[in-house]
Amino acid sequence: MNRKQATKIGLILASPLLIYFLIFFIYPIFLLFRYAFTNTAGSFSLSNFVYMSKDPILYSSLYNTLYYFIGSVAVQFSGGFLAAIVLNSYTGRLKNTFRMILYIPLTISPIVIALIWLLIFNPTYGPIDYILRTPINWLGSLNLAMPTIIVANGWEYIPFVFLIIYAGLQAVPKQYYEAASIDGMNRLQTFRYITMPSITPILVVAFLLNSIGILQGFTLVYVLTNGGPGFSTYILSFYIYKVAFAYFNLHYAAALSLLFIFIIGAFVYAMLKLTSVERYLGLKRENAGDE
Amino acid sequence: MKKLNILLLLLLIIFSLISLFPIYWTIITALKVNSEIFTTVPIFFPVKITLSNFYTPGQTFGAVSQTAFGSFPWLLNSAVIALLSALIGTFLIGAPAAYALTRYLKNVWLGRTVLLMMMIPEAALIIPFYIIIIKVNLINTWWGLTLVYLSFTAPLSTWLLMGFFSDLPRSVEEAASIDGLSAYKIFYKIAMPMIMPGIMVSIILNFINSWNEFLYALVLTYTPFPTGAQTVPLFLSDFIVIEKSFAWGGLAAAGVIVIIPTIIIGIYAQKYLVKGWTMGAVKE
Amino acid sequence: MSEVVIENLTKKFGNNLVLDHINLKIDSREFFVLLGPSGSGKSTLLRLIAGLEDITDGSIYIGGKKVNGVQPKDRDVAMVFQNYALYPHFSVYDNIALPLKVRGFSKDKIAQRVKEISGILHIEELLEKKPRQLSGGQQQRVALARALVRNPSIFLLDEPLSNLDAKLRVEARTFLKSLQKELGVTTIFVTHDQSEAMAMATKIAVLNRGTIKQVADPYELYMKPSDTFTAGFVGSPAMNMVPGKIVKDGNAWKFAAADMALDLKGMKFDSEAEVIMGVRPEHVVISTEGITGIISTVEPLGSVTYLEVKIGGTDIMVQYTGLARIEPNSQVKIGFALDRLLFYDKDTEKLLNK
Repeated sequence: MNRKQATKIGLILASPLLIYFLIFFIYPIFLLFRYAFTNTAGSFSLSNFVYMSKDPILYSSLYNTLYYFIGSVAVQFSGGFLAAIVLNSYTGRLKNTFRMILYIPLTISPIVIALIWLLIFNPTYGPIDYILRTPINWLGSLNLAMPTIIVANGWEYIPFVFLIIYAGLQAVPKQYYEAASIDGMNRLQTFRYITMPSITPILVVAFLLNSIGILQGFTLVYVLTNGGPGFSTYILSFYIYKVAFAYFNLHYAAALSLLFIFIIGAFVYAMLKLTSVERYLGLKRENAGDE
Repeated sequence: MKKLNILLLLLLIIFSLISLFPIYWTIITALKVNSEIFTTVPIFFPVKITLSNFYTPGQTFGAVSQTAFGSFPWLLNSAVIALLSALIGTFLIGAPAAYALTRYLKNVWLGRTVLLMMMIPEAALIIPFYIIIIKVNLINTWWGLTLVYLSFTAPLSTWLLMGFFSDLPRSVEEAASIDGLSAYKIFYKIAMPMIMPGIMVSIILNFINSWNEFLYALVLTYTPFPTGAQTVPLFLSDFIVIEKSFAWGGLAAAGVIVIIPTIIIGIYAQKYLVKGWTMGAVKE
Repeated sequence: MSEVVIENLTKKFGNNLVLDHINLKIDSREFFVLLGPSGSGKSTLLRLIAGLEDITDGSIYIGGKKVNGVQPKDRDVAMVFQNYALYPHFSVYDNIALPLKVRGFSKDKIAQRVKEISGILHIEELLEKKPRQLSGGQQQRVALARALVRNPSIFLLDEPLSNLDAKLRVEARTFLKSLQKELGVTTIFVTHDQSEAMAMATKIAVLNRGTIKQVADPYELYMKPSDTFTAGFVGSPAMNMVPGKIVKDGNAWKFAAADMALDLKGMKFDSEAEVIMGVRPEHVVISTEGITGIISTVEPLGSVTYLEVKIGGTDIMVQYTGLARIEPNSQVKIGFALDRLLFYDKDTEKLLNK
């Protein structure tokens, strides 16, 4: 079979995906451009971008998105890392059962997470405030609303980071540890020289996938705070939704969507440039010598 | 050594409590009578257990029952749409594309394209999707939402199955080509059956993601079955907005119904799920 | 009529030259072995014959027909892979039946052929099982059955014995050899194991780094390896190689090396030359007269004993027939079977005394 035949077969097999890609990714991005660069009357205009440059809600949304992103990464990585290390170091029965218990939140719909935290964080009847012995208006306070959302979201996605890092730890060959113990390394040295280098690729990939998951966040803000109090929990995805479907300005919303895609694109591009994440993902392979 | 292990076990128990308590709290709220829900001292172990939050004739929420039982028309939509997008994403789009990308089209840009499709957030595409679905007159229909859900199920399936296909020894497919099978027959008669576990992973993960999806359903559907395609997360969100301060028992019961399918999958498909979630991150 | 002819065959992977102008003729009914170390290009050559890879340049003819660009399924070849490549989700029966099924054979005809071939390979009782329920040896037989069931004109095997344990491998050799003889099918067999090649082949082609070093029957290959690579690769333990000079002393020729000098009675050379002398361990004898050396290691294998003898800075491996209690560090004298000595030009590495 020559290259041409192979390419033909490949294109036929991939055609459903390619057609879908054209209609539901390329065309939508074209639509975004068309809407973003026109006004409601339908003629070419930069007004959306002019407005964008001096839109105070956008600026606070961007600030909130950054806050939400950094907070979530910090919570989810520290939680997931800790849980993975603990379960990996534990030498007893029920390891798989613990793993299952710890990942269960990951299966739960974000809308139910919202519901659960409404019940639990309720200032009057919720168990958290009872344990803390003070009624706190978690979601109604300017300073606490975003941290509350970060924690609630963390409860669902810490398991994701946990699972990936745990799988990475499990994949480190036992001989490395045996060699390290024969070489006389203590626990800290073993962690520093064996464990960390072995799981670095996994941490990078986990960071990329987790970041994308975090930026998808919408449901909790929509249900728990509806952006409030004030604009304190407006994040970019929520703002786009509001502009499009509460203020019905699809043109400005399209401009915001392009901004969002641009930000994500820049982030992913930076990840690709600064790390070897593509190699870790198996996208780039070293050409193995074929006999 | 032993002391450390006991400490670790203790930590694991604490983590497990953090993981399970919110779910426990939702379940017992769903089983409590109102007088035990609205107490200033929360009741952690309810004495009186009731199923009335799941079903009490006569109480209404909107046009339907105020109890969780009323969620059935939404549940039906969710089940159909999640199944359709999981199966189409896996069999019609993901598997052939993944096979093509691992065996025939080895261009790094195609892999990057799939990755890109997974990375664009829903909120960034909701506007064009809304425009397209309106244009083709599929708003508030099963097919409309399914088509849009393919935007995350198809690339995820492709991505996952690429990993499974590239782990297959090529020689089996080569043997088949010498035995006389065409390239397409080799794909669906030889290669596909060999990655059955991967197919399972893909279907399960797609199903969970579609079942739990919120934003697209919020924008693209607005009435329950039989007049529309609104899914059960929407039932819940409307329920929350209206009943936030009142029917907690019914709310919790509805929440329990929504999470039951995914939790059951979570328990019984442990092997597949873990593989799916960690795939792409952990190469064995 | 199912010989294979290969003309000026070249294969590149990217810029990597894997096969360089290969010319070969494989006769009908031959048991032809492609022998070489890993990276020599032997598997690639087999895969090119099968049609699994594209030819970069040159031609392949099967049964007189040019098959460049012809699909594997249309070449009338069958192949057994190193890992057997059985279809894991099919039963043994379906594995064997598949090549017939896709060629449109009737159900009865298929059943009859499967029964026949599984009889020949003694796997009748395995037909209902799945491949993963079989032992390595059984899987190998199923792979053979699947390949042979449609009477291919060319039978290709890619290191099919390397996944078997040592004892089974030796049994499988004998079995394969007699099976091939019985069926009379032209067979091309790839291996890196020279003893396997010697045991089975009617003809062997030795490959190294993408070129053919020698094509010969096992006897000639062993006795007259045409260059130093083949000389070193075929035979175990390897041939002794002693660098030195051929010099003319009056009418007689002599071999002079750093640690030894030999009179080459009855041999003739064109001119004096820098050479490498090759001599197999079994052509070195322990005797009462000859060159004195010290035994450095002793490997008693039972039927033979290998002695490494140090002569100055040169180590010579000696094969001693039988088992003997010989102490290391003792002094011995060794002699060479002069008619078995091989001399290779130091620069071209080609055999001088053909």
